[in-house]
Amino acid sequence: MAVKIPNNVDELPTSALRYVGRAVKRVEDPGLLTGRTEFIDDVSRTGMLHCAILRSPIAHARITGMDVSEAAKLPGVVAIVTGEDAARWSFPAAAVPEGWGTHCLPKDKVRFVGEPVAAVAATSRAIAEDALELIAVDYEPLEPVMDPLRAMSQGSPLVLEERGTNVMMQRLFTWGDVDAAFATADHVFSEKFRWNRLGANPIETYGCISEWNPVDHGIVVRGGFQSPSHMALGRAASFGLPSNKVRMIAHPHGGSFGGKGGVRGTDISILLSRKAGGRPVKWIEDRMEYLVAGGSQAWDRHYELSLAARADGLVTALKVKLIDDLGANGEGFGAISAAKPLAAFTGPYTIGAAQYDLTLVATNKAPASPYRGMGPPPHNFALEQMMDIAAKGLGIDAAEFRRRNFIPKDRFPYTIPSGNEYDSGDYQAVLDKALALADYETLREEQATARQQGRLVGIGVASAVEPGVFDWNAYAIVGVQGTGVPEGATVSVDILGKISIRVGFALEGQGQYTLITQLVADYFAVDMDDITVTALDTQSAPPHFGPGGSRLGVAITGAVLGACERIREKMCAVTAALMQTAPENIEFADGNFIVKGMPGAEMPMAQVAGTMLGASHLLPPGIDPRPEATYVWTAAGRTPVDEEGRAKSYLTAAQAVHVVLLEIDRETGMVEIKKYCLVDDCGTRLNPATVEGQTEGSVAQGVGAALLEEYVYDEDGQLLTSTYMDYLLPTISDVPMTEKDEVVTPSPFTPLGAKGCGEGAIHTTPAAVMCAINDALAPLGVRANEVPATPVRLWKLIQAAEDAPATV
Amino acid sequence: MTKTCRVRVKVNGVAYDEEVEPRLTLVDFLRERLALTGTHVGCEHGVCGACTVLVDGRTARSCLMLAVQADGAKVETVEGLAPEGELHPIQMAFLEEHGLQCGFCTPGFLMAVCELLEDNPGPSDDEIKEMLGGQICRCTGYQSILRAVHRAAANQQAARAARTTLRA
Repeated sequence: MAVKIPNNVDELPTSALRYVGRAVKRVEDPGLLTGRTEFIDDVSRTGMLHCAILRSPIAHARITGMDVSEAAKLPGVVAIVTGEDAARWSFPAAAVPEGWGTHCLPKDKVRFVGEPVAAVAATSRAIAEDALELIAVDYEPLEPVMDPLRAMSQGSPLVLEERGTNVMMQRLFTWGDVDAAFATADHVFSEKFRWNRLGANPIETYGCISEWNPVDHGIVVRGGFQSPSHMALGRAASFGLPSNKVRMIAHPHGGSFGGKGGVRGTDISILLSRKAGGRPVKWIEDRMEYLVAGGSQAWDRHYELSLAARADGLVTALKVKLIDDLGANGEGFGAISAAKPLAAFTGPYTIGAAQYDLTLVATNKAPASPYRGMGPPPHNFALEQMMDIAAKGLGIDAAEFRRRNFIPKDRFPYTIPSGNEYDSGDYQAVLDKALALADYETLREEQATARQQGRLVGIGVASAVEPGVFDWNAYAIVGVQGTGVPEGATVSVDILGKISIRVGFALEGQGQYTLITQLVADYFAVDMDDITVTALDTQSAPPHFGPGGSRLGVAITGAVLGACERIREKMCAVTAALMQTAPENIEFADGNFIVKGMPGAEMPMAQVAGTMLGASHLLPPGIDPRPEATYVWTAAGRTPVDEEGRAKSYLTAAQAVHVVLLEIDRETGMVEIKKYCLVDDCGTRLNPATVEGQTEGSVAQGVGAALLEEYVYDEDGQLLTSTYMDYLLPTISDVPMTEKDEVVTPSPFTPLGAKGCGEGAIHTTPAAVMCAINDALAPLGVRANEVPATPVRLWKLIQAAEDAPATV
Repeated sequence: MTKTCRVRVKVNGVAYDEEVEPRLTLVDFLRERLALTGTHVGCEHGVCGACTVLVDGRTARSCLMLAVQADGAKVETVEGLAPEGELHPIQMAFLEEHGLQCGFCTPGFLMAVCELLEDNPGPSDDEIKEMLGGQICRCTGYQSILRAVHRAAANQQAARAARTTLRA
C-alpha cells in the first residue's frame, strides 16, 4: 500500500511540535562524552589476534622474492599471508572504473609506496610488528610515473601493465551548442588551475575485526564502516561468496567524511583469519598507514576552464578540461569524484551550454578515495575563479556579476545542461542576505583604504550549489551501476508504549539518531526519552546505505516517517475494531486514536499497543498483532543516465553564498581570515544545531583545503607528508569563527521539505577563500591558481610581482 | 623483550600495580591493561591530542609517554569525570553547546579543558585558542567547542558557588 510521507512539518499528526525544527540536545552525546561509546578498537573477541601489515617502501617495483620463514618462527606469530594467499583465496577488489582493481596483496609488483605486500597475525600488535621486520622482500625497482601528463604520453611506464595504458577513462561530454556560444560570445575568458591532493583525515583511523568461519565459509566483520551494506557486497565479491554469507557489524566510528577506506586492510585481515583457522583478527590502521595508503587522498587535478560571456555580463557557456590523477588503481572509487560535478556542473548559474573533457589517469601514487563533497569542491573553486576573472574583465562587481547569472527563483525546478534537476531555491535572496550580513559596501570601502596603505586585503564572494541525496546514477559515467539508494528503518512500539527504532548504519557524528528520535517523538507525541535507536548488522537490518552524498538526513526522515505512517494505519484498524467503527472513521492526533465526531472516544497510542500485544482476545481476527513497521525510502523520479551522460541524479540542491575578508602578509605570504560570513538555504532545518555543526565543520575543512592541506610526493614517489607534522590539519587558531544567516525554501520533493546539507560549506569555502586571495593579489597583477595557497606559494607570487618591471 | 618493569599508578583514584614491557605506551596501558578505553588514539605521534590525559594534574600525550614513566603518578582520564554517570560540568557544557560530532577527539578535549579551567577559570577566546591549539577536531570546526568552553567555565563557577553556599 502506498504511504504518503509528509512534505511539510505542518502535516505531522501533532498540533504542537516539541522537537522537530528545534536545536535539541543530541542523544548520541552522553555515551561519547563519558568515553563509553564502543569504537572498534575498544572491542575484543575471544582468541583474537592482531594484524600488522608490511608495506612497500618503493613506488614501483617488481617483487622478485619473499622469505617469511624467520617471521614465522617468532613466538606469538600465528599466521602470515602474502600475495600467494591473496591470489589463491580472493579476487581483486571491486574498482571504478571496472578492471582497474588489484589483489589486496600483490604477487608480481608494487605500484605505490605503502602498498601492502605481506601481513602477520600474532598474539599482540607488538609481536606482529616485530615479525614484519623479519620478512625479507626482494624488489627490482622500476621507473615510477608521478605526473599524470607524462603518464598519458607514449613510452611512459605502465602502472597496470595488463591494461596497456595509464589512461583509465577519456570522454568528451557536450551539452548544448557550446561551439556556437563561444563563436558568438562578446568575450571569452580562459585560465588553468591546479588542485593538489588532500583528504578526509577523520581522527579515528579505520579498524576492523574479521572472522572467517571455516565450517560454513562465511565472514563476520566488525568495524567502523561508513556504509556497512556496501562493504558487505564488496567483501562478497572479493571472496567469491554469496552476499548472505557476509555479515558486517558496524560500530560507531570517529568520523569518515567519505575517506574511511579500509577495503584492503579488511580483506587482508579476512585472509589472515582464514589462515589462522578462523580466529578473529583485529586490524587497526595506524596514522601513517592511513596517510600513506588509507582512504586519505583525494582530488589531484589539473584544470583548464573557458567561459563565454556577453558584454552585459551574461555567461552563456562553460568548458571544463580535467585531467584527474587517480593514483595506482581504481580501488578507492576516486573516479566517482570526477563524475559528481555533473550534478551541479554550471553551479547556481543559468549557463546554457557546457562541455566536460574528462581524462582519468593512473600514476604511482596511492589510489584516490572519496572525500566530503565528492569532487565538486575543486570544480567549484575553478568555476568561481572564472566568474571573478570574467567579472573583472567586464568591469562588473563580483557580487553583481553573480546576481546577473543566478537562476531566478521562479524557474525551479530547473534542469542544468548536464542533466540534473535543482528542486528549489532563491539565490538572489541568499546573496542579498549574505551581502547585508557582511556589510559588503563597508568592506569594499575598508579594502580601498587598506590598498592605499599598500596592504593586500581581499574580499571573496562565492556561491555554490550542494547536490543533496546522492543516487548511484550520478556516477554512471564512470561505470557505477544502479538507480536509487534505498534506506530503511524499522519502528516498533512495545507493550508499554515505548518505542525502538532499528537502522542499518552506526553513529558517525552527524546526529542522525537524534534526528530519528525527534521525528518519532513528535509523530507519536511522546518524549524523546521514550525512544531508543539501535544499529543492526547487515543481515538483519532493513536495506540501507548510511551516511554519504548529503543524503541520510533526508532519506532516514523518509524511512522513519514511512514506518510511523504504517503503524498508524495498523493502529487505526485496531482502534476501529475496538470502537466498532470503520478505520476511516479513526483519526490520529497528538498521540491519540480518536473516533471522528465523538468527543472522548479515543485511545492513547500506548493503550492501542498494549492491547495489540497483551489482549489478543479483543483484536479482530486475522490481524498481525505487532505494533511495528518497516519502511524503505528511496528518492522518486530518478532517471537512468542517457547517452550524453545526463540524469536526474541528486534529489535536492542546497545553495550558499559566502563572503570572506582576508589579508595576505606581504612579507610572509601568510593569510589571515578577518571576517567570514555565510548564508545558506538547505530547505527545512530539522535540527538547526546539527545543521550549524555540519556548516561550521565544513568551513574548517574548506579553509584547510584552501590554505593548508596537501599530500606532497617527491619524484621517486615517496610521500613527504606522512605525519601530521607535515600534513597540516586546521587547528582552532586557523579556523574563522563564522557569522551565519539562512534562507529557507523547502524542497517540494522531500520528506518535510529538507535538503541534503551534510557536505555543506566545503562546496563553497575553498572557492570563496581563493576568490578573496586573488582579490587581494589583484593590485600586484598576479593570480594564485594553485590550491592550497600556502605561504610559500603566495610569497613567491608576491616576490615575482614586486621584482617585475613596473608597468604603467 | 621478556624483561618487564613494575608500574604503580593511581588512575581515577584506583591504585594499580602492574608488570609491563618497558616499550608499552601509557595509552596502550590504560586501554589494553586497565580496559579504560575512553582515551582514544588518533595519530600516535603527539599531534592530534585525542589521547590527552592528566598526569599529576597536567595534560600529557599518553601516546608519547611510556607506562613506566607514569610510575608513582596520579593519572586522570575521561572515565574519571563522571564516575557515577552524572555528567561533569565540562561534559555538560559540550552537550549543551553541541561541542562534539563523532566524539572521537572529545575525551582529549575534555581533559585539556580540565587543565585550562583549573589554571584559568574565566578564559578569553584567545586564551582558549592558545590552550587548545594542540587538540585537533575534524568535525566541528571548533566554533561550538569555543562556545562549550565558555559555558563550561560558567558551569564550573556556578557549581563552585553552589558548593560554597552549601558549606555556608
